[in-house]
Amino acid sequence: MRRFEQSNKIIRSAVANHKLWIMILMSFALAVPMLAVAEDTPATSSTTVHSDQVAAYTSKGADTCIKCHDEDSEFPVFSIFKTKHAQLADSRTPFAHLQCETCHGPGANHAKNVPSDKHQAPIIAFGSTSKIAPDGRNPTSPTDQNKICLDCHRGDARIDWHASAHERGDLACVSCHKLHVDRDPVLRTASQPEVCYRCHQKQRVDFNKPSAHPVNFAQLACSNCHQPHGTSNAAQLIKPTINQTCYSCHAEKRGPVLWEHAPVAEDCTLCHSAHGSVHSALLKKDPPLLCQQCHSPSGHPAIARTADALPGGSSAASGFLLAGGCTNCHSQVHGSNSPSGHLLMR
Amino acid sequence: MNIPTKPLLLFMLSAHAVSSVAADGVDNTSSGPDTQQWKCKYCAFPAGLRGTVDFGLGYASNDAFKFGEYNGINQHSGFLIGDAELTYFGEEAKYWTMNATDLGLDSRALNVEGGKQGAFKVTFGYKELPHFIDAAVATPFVNGGSNALTLPTSWVTGTATSTMPALDTDLQSTSVKTKRKQLQASASITPASAWQYSIAFHHETKQGTQATAGAFFFNSTQLIRPVDYVTDQLDAAAAYTGNKLQLRVTYSASAFRNHNASLTWQNPYTALLNADAGQLALPPDNQFHELQLALGYQISNDTRVTADIAMGRMTQDQEFLAPTLNATLNAVAPPRKSLAGKVDTRNANLKFASAVTQLLRVNATYIYNDRDNQTPQAAYAWVSTDSFVNTPTVNLPYSFTQSTWKLRADYRLLKYLHAAAGYDNDSRKRTFQETEHTRERSVWGKIDLQNWHSMDVSLKVVHGKRDQSGYAPLTATGVIENPLLIKYNMANRFRDSAELRVDTAIGDKLTLGAGINVARDEYPDSKLGLIYGKDLSYNADVTLLLTHTTSTHLFASREEIQSRQMGSSNFSVADWTGHNDDTINYFGIGIKRSKLMEKLDVGADYTVTNSHGAVMVDTGTLAAPFPDLVSKRDTLKLYGTYRLADKISLQAAYWYEQYHSDNWMLAGVAPGTISNVLTLGQLAPIYHVNVISLSGRYQFK
Repeated sequence: MRRFEQSNKIIRSAVANHKLWIMILMSFALAVPMLAVAEDTPATSSTTVHSDQVAAYTSKGADTCIKCHDEDSEFPVFSIFKTKHAQLADSRTPFAHLQCETCHGPGANHAKNVPSDKHQAPIIAFGSTSKIAPDGRNPTSPTDQNKICLDCHRGDARIDWHASAHERGDLACVSCHKLHVDRDPVLRTASQPEVCYRCHQKQRVDFNKPSAHPVNFAQLACSNCHQPHGTSNAAQLIKPTINQTCYSCHAEKRGPVLWEHAPVAEDCTLCHSAHGSVHSALLKKDPPLLCQQCHSPSGHPAIARTADALPGGSSAASGFLLAGGCTNCHSQVHGSNSPSGHLLMR
Repeated sequence: MNIPTKPLLLFMLSAHAVSSVAADGVDNTSSGPDTQQWKCKYCAFPAGLRGTVDFGLGYASNDAFKFGEYNGINQHSGFLIGDAELTYFGEEAKYWTMNATDLGLDSRALNVEGGKQGAFKVTFGYKELPHFIDAAVATPFVNGGSNALTLPTSWVTGTATSTMPALDTDLQSTSVKTKRKQLQASASITPASAWQYSIAFHHETKQGTQATAGAFFFNSTQLIRPVDYVTDQLDAAAAYTGNKLQLRVTYSASAFRNHNASLTWQNPYTALLNADAGQLALPPDNQFHELQLALGYQISNDTRVTADIAMGRMTQDQEFLAPTLNATLNAVAPPRKSLAGKVDTRNANLKFASAVTQLLRVNATYIYNDRDNQTPQAAYAWVSTDSFVNTPTVNLPYSFTQSTWKLRADYRLLKYLHAAAGYDNDSRKRTFQETEHTRERSVWGKIDLQNWHSMDVSLKVVHGKRDQSGYAPLTATGVIENPLLIKYNMANRFRDSAELRVDTAIGDKLTLGAGINVARDEYPDSKLGLIYGKDLSYNADVTLLLTHTTSTHLFASREEIQSRQMGSSNFSVADWTGHNDDTINYFGIGIKRSKLMEKLDVGADYTVTNSHGAVMVDTGTLAAPFPDLVSKRDTLKLYGTYRLADKISLQAAYWYEQYHSDNWMLAGVAPGTISNVLTLGQLAPIYHVNVISLSGRYQFK
């Protein structure tokens, strides 16, 4: 207890003096002893079997399963042999361990013959809980399904899965991923959006707006910007902030430059809709109204621009309204590095 | 920047405690079942080459820049179809895969991966990404897209576009487009089962042209500027995955280079004050370096902590341009040769999550994002539009600090009923701006019904309130804003939103889903600027399995985005109101039939997108209404695959699309329409196009 209090004191003092650097160093330092302990127990596939389960495994492993689950069955399984999960020479894979039962659990009871009017005994099944047990049998919960996947896949991009938005939403891994197929659609740029749109219908509309990032052209996947397995930041972005995510493709906007435009440096989405917009360049609205949300000095920027200033209107066609609007002169809206770029005109 | 120490301390102590319980990381398990009879003799393990190769021809009936905006099917011409997906599994888990797409188009991509599964992996990728922006714009400059735009010798300047006699004859048509070419290579090794080391390199060039503009006093010209960028990105990472501890340390470096420092252009107007040429700065070279640590630790079966901490630095030190090209001005040189721009970024996401009981789960999250701009300040005697020298102005290197707490509890009330609630406290600090500090507090609640009478129902309601520490218009910028204006990102705000989603299945043939989302912002203390925003969307999906081989789907969505803002033309109280209402309708229907006559798979999809943007500026006097911003897209796709032989099939597709758009910002605006803006004469896209394609597929089994 005394040592614990002492630690507190030291930490408080150090934090006060060295702020975030301490956080980094402490995390590394803490990682070392944790690593030393954890090194003995690397993540493995679910080969650790509790003694009370041994009797429930099938006598012939996958051969037992395949006898029923052929290509004509309701749940065909042969496509698993087109995947990396069925690689015997990789000691980490399910088939290098307990074959089908590595993931689906002991299957002896499930494999027993039953009268035609009865259902097979349940087995760990993967899928939407509302679909895998239409007869009311006890389905495998998403949490239990996911534990099996996370036994091997808990690292790297899944570090933050626990308590993430999708996890808290009771999504199973297989809500998005398909395991028994040659190529998982959610891992392909062209087909991934359709998987996401199943729940995110609003985004399906966004990418069909006149100005949009090229998701519908199969040039960009949702996961190019978002981390579906969870991050704590806004919208589960792949980078810590919105702007850093945008800089991944738009590094020219990164700067810093001499004359910054404050909202540009703060948050790209103050002016742009990240997915798509009715307005050009994914803007939330067109200038001059866009700019007049934040600018109302004396003179031309604050003046109401009406349709009278359209070509053929009652007043002359206005450069404050048409073509680029405000950007006809203030073209450097993302900031300027020219010594004379103070008003974003050079 | 002050960093709150309490959350930091909490996380460290929890991590400190972690090390004391880490020793129980070994599962108490017995040996597995007897697998001596598990021969797997029916298992068709992967071996040899498998996949598909497609080759064929396509044809587009019309020029349609917008249709091929990102894929290159933008001209009336034929094109080659080339796609491949190949996988090879060899001995001892060795493998390679190859994916090639759109080989005959400007969006071609090739990705190759190979290695020994569980030991090492190398990848190589090449991709092109075009962006066709404008098919035809008009400019008098003879070398549009270069970094020094010159007018033809026949050009005669004028005080306005209407007095430029050679304008019509000297205009030249050009397109505006860019193309990215991306090259990536990576390697990763797994020397032990828990460790992985990886390194990835990404090289991208972006070349082409973009539209910009430059002015002399109030006379402006839209210009075509060059784009010639190179961005290199390097990521090196080490990752550990244990039963309790997962760790990833990454170093990232990104370097951006622009081959053009500036854009100069001749003044097409009659030069005042000898300003016969202007110069715009183009994006300067910059770099970003970052060290990131992601860490997760499973304290127990029910409790986990995670941390994602990053520290980075953005730098930019390109030599300044001259303040002006106007040699007749006594422009003072910048106080330094280059900016020495430096921004330190610090980011931390810390999360503690625990299942207190089998029914109750809680988690606490702390987010810290700091953009600490350490760029030196100095007074710059800037030249306004190459015409006259201004009073020196000091640059404002903006810094931002976000500090957010999130608390959440999830409780399973019934087997199928799950409730959640949370509280978020988001604090933001800014430098050199009107408000130093804003704080937004939000509460939310959510109810989920899952698998309840074959129905999933989700309802979430959020209420947030943002307060600011005070608002004082800036004087340092030299531009004095109306004191009644409050910039909306710093204004007091009420934010409310609600989401309702219902999904159900009727039998095993029919699934239905419907949802409503509404979000509303109100700025109660704002007299000028944005005062109100609302986003309302509805959507519905239906999927029907007609037979074992036939399925149909239908979806419909509508979104309404509204905003209101106030303005003052006379630097006084509000005297005009701006309304911006966007409406987007999206509808689609499709059908698929497989195994027709055992050899034919066919399908059809039809979608319609219809959007309107209505703008109204109400000044209290009768004014003509703005025409709607309109776009309408109708798309029909028919496709089929016929199996000619065991490994050979024929694929045919027909794609019709018509697109109509109208944009009042561009309609009727020829290069000389506006007296003081020489425009590019851009047009809102309108097209219809038929695309047919025929290809053969060979399948490796």
